[in-house]
Amino acid sequence: MNEQQSILLEQLLEQVQKPAQYIGGEMNSVIKDWDSVRFRFAFCFPDTYEIGMSHLGMKILYHLINSRQDALCERVFMPAADMADRMRQSGLPLFSWETRHLLTEFDIIGFTLQYEMSYTNILEMLDLARIPAYRDQRTDDMPFVVAGGPCAFNPEPLAPFIDAFMIGDGEDVMHELIEVIRDGREAKKEKIDILRDLARLEGVYVPALYQAEYNEDGTLRAFYPVDDAAPKVVKKRVVKDLSAAIYPDTIPVPYTEIVHDRMVLEIMRGCTRGCRFCQAGMLYRPVRERSMDRLLELADKLQQSTGYEEMSLSSLSSGDFSCLPQLIQALMDRYRDKRVGVSLPSMRIDNIVKQSLEETQQVKKSGLTLAPEAGTQRLRDVINKGVTEDDLIRSVTDAFECGWSSVKLYFMMGLPTETDEDLRGIGDLAKKVVDAYYRVPKEMRSKNGVRVTASASVFVPKPFTPFQWAAQDTMETVHEKQASLREYLKLKCVHFNWHESGLSMLEACISRGDRRIGDVIYAAWKRGCRLDGWNEHFKFDQWIEAFHDCGLTPDFYAYRERPYEELLPWQFIDAGVSQEYLKKENEKARQVQTTKDCRHGCNGCGLHTWGVCDWVKHPPLKDSDKMSAPLFD
Amino acid sequence: MKMIVVFEKAPRLRLIGHLDLMRAMQRALRRSGLPLRYSQGFNPHILLTFAAPLSVGMPGKREIMEVPLEHDVTPEDFVQKLSSALPPDLPVLSARPVDERHPAPMALLTAAVYEAQLEQVPDNFQQTIDGFLAQKEINVMRKTKSGLKPSDIRPMIYDLRLQGGTLHMALALSEKATCKPDLLLQSLFEFAQTERPRALITRLQLLGEEDGVFKPLESL
Repeated sequence: MNEQQSILLEQLLEQVQKPAQYIGGEMNSVIKDWDSVRFRFAFCFPDTYEIGMSHLGMKILYHLINSRQDALCERVFMPAADMADRMRQSGLPLFSWETRHLLTEFDIIGFTLQYEMSYTNILEMLDLARIPAYRDQRTDDMPFVVAGGPCAFNPEPLAPFIDAFMIGDGEDVMHELIEVIRDGREAKKEKIDILRDLARLEGVYVPALYQAEYNEDGTLRAFYPVDDAAPKVVKKRVVKDLSAAIYPDTIPVPYTEIVHDRMVLEIMRGCTRGCRFCQAGMLYRPVRERSMDRLLELADKLQQSTGYEEMSLSSLSSGDFSCLPQLIQALMDRYRDKRVGVSLPSMRIDNIVKQSLEETQQVKKSGLTLAPEAGTQRLRDVINKGVTEDDLIRSVTDAFECGWSSVKLYFMMGLPTETDEDLRGIGDLAKKVVDAYYRVPKEMRSKNGVRVTASASVFVPKPFTPFQWAAQDTMETVHEKQASLREYLKLKCVHFNWHESGLSMLEACISRGDRRIGDVIYAAWKRGCRLDGWNEHFKFDQWIEAFHDCGLTPDFYAYRERPYEELLPWQFIDAGVSQEYLKKENEKARQVQTTKDCRHGCNGCGLHTWGVCDWVKHPPLKDSDKMSAPLFD
Repeated sequence: MKMIVVFEKAPRLRLIGHLDLMRAMQRALRRSGLPLRYSQGFNPHILLTFAAPLSVGMPGKREIMEVPLEHDVTPEDFVQKLSSALPPDLPVLSARPVDERHPAPMALLTAAVYEAQLEQVPDNFQQTIDGFLAQKEINVMRKTKSGLKPSDIRPMIYDLRLQGGTLHMALALSEKATCKPDLLLQSLFEFAQTERPRALITRLQLLGEEDGVFKPLESL
């Protein structure tokens, strides 16, 4: 950024809301000498600072790239609407938070894909950076635009815009990607040749080298590589040993308040539960734990380098971490004097933890969040959510006895096979939670009274899950069901939250979209859509118009049940879990049959053939072992 | 013991609010490994008081805070430990140990020195300033809890000088009487009957009084 632009930025900052989010300069942010490195990476988070700074993956990769001597990594976030408008009006291009370099000055621009409804922000950010959104309109001297993260497992909706996708664990592939682009650029190779080199890396998908063909009814007829360098199947990358993998021992500490303002310790990756709606549970297989030694070493370093007063444990199902009670005990012992609070995963409030709770006040009693997901045992069996009503009531009773008074219950509506009885079940369950509070003796429970918040999101079928073929409920049906739920949840001490149905419908379109959806996203952005995840900015009608602009209908993507024979847009990606396994699981769901947690023994999901699955060799649990409720924080 | 600490809030951080600054300082103190004192109660926090909050948008050259400590530390050791825990835009400049009975900086504060870098200086501005200061009363409307109220700020202006494009000001800042630099500029340019230019206002120094003479607050 030149001097004029710097002055302009300072002026804009005085005119916008929450200006402090744009200033950078946080403790532990890494500022390297721009000219002393061979390679510059702009890590872009396609949402605002307060969201992006709460994201763990960004912290890992920021640390990983900056740990290289030859490279630097700086952060970029989506400006809020007022800032974006003023930047555009005044001609100030998008810049990095560390040194305020323009995005065009970087070698790679990398986006993390956490949520489909942030895709218009990618187009907005590229536009603010003055980089053409469509990859075929970018010249060779422009930065490479790459992307990764869970949504990259169906990369097709962004295929027109992104040069290369990283599929799977980012820390496993990032060095190779950087080196291929670095060497290619230094050797003055043409972009297409660098792309070919990238396509040869395992776990990298280069959309320019593939072709999609469609049937007359709009379904995919064929999808194939059109270049020798491109593999037919792109296999996800997996970090085999999480303890040996790089993890940040220092993270930028923001000045302003962000959503999750605390240290995060990722205790394990992956989940063995096999909930059939859960994409993360399938994508992040196999389960890998970090060792206690490594976790305690990281915790100490993080605590010293950040000064944070709170630490949380992160994973898909922290209660399943094999050394959880020991870990929590060790952390509490270590940090009692330093006044560091430890946020517990809400479930598994077993005796060890309960005792610690009584001894200390290191644990915040802000709220307990449980996710039964469905209202009846039948439907919980359909989705393979291995939690019973007894588990749930036991968990909340334990919590009430420890002084908790507010409970959040997460449900989904529109799950396959759902009936009115399942919706009534949500009301019944909420009522039983309230009753559980009143059964706790007065002297043990909180004096604040109980408050139960039931949230019902709309089920969105996702790729690489057993429900990837399913139809989503129409918006009309969703509205009827929401009305019913409002009735069933008219209960004392119970509050009901529901979600914007239009947003979930569009999420369904994009998450299972094909290459043509890219044009819809572009058309929507052209029509002013951005920050779609923010209620005040969401423009449903413009999205529908955008589909029409492209001659497509949302119904085709959201409401259509796919036959097994149909070629799915993401089928060329190998996520480890086989399509056959997903079909089998979908069939079991229809027959209300559950599948056991794979720590009881391998279910043959596909990953066992990769040699990365410890559980196959050493099943750690016997069938008789009682499992605790898999409810998340 | 308590430590009276002088630090700078650099221009890059000028848009950070007071609460955010306080949290950043608390976290820095936690990183420093210094023997801090914590409040009692359910959510213990580090004991720490600032002499005077800085307005959002204003950098501070010599800001002052008081840090109570669990046991004695030399000022050199204190500065070295805290410096290594602070980001570059928040350097610690000095520290002076005082005993427990020493009054809080906030209680000793009476005035502050500011500079305003004006983007444009109106013609004959020195004459305007002289005329402005020659007034017996300078009445401005101030926001109070019970609405807008007239108030005379002339006695709160201790110094007002133009040097090149920079306006130097010494203004009252205490629990009893405060004149914010922004209010002074507004009043001055209304008097000048010219549009107020953009200006970056920096707080240079906090002052207290000893024997009727202003002295840097940290020395009292």
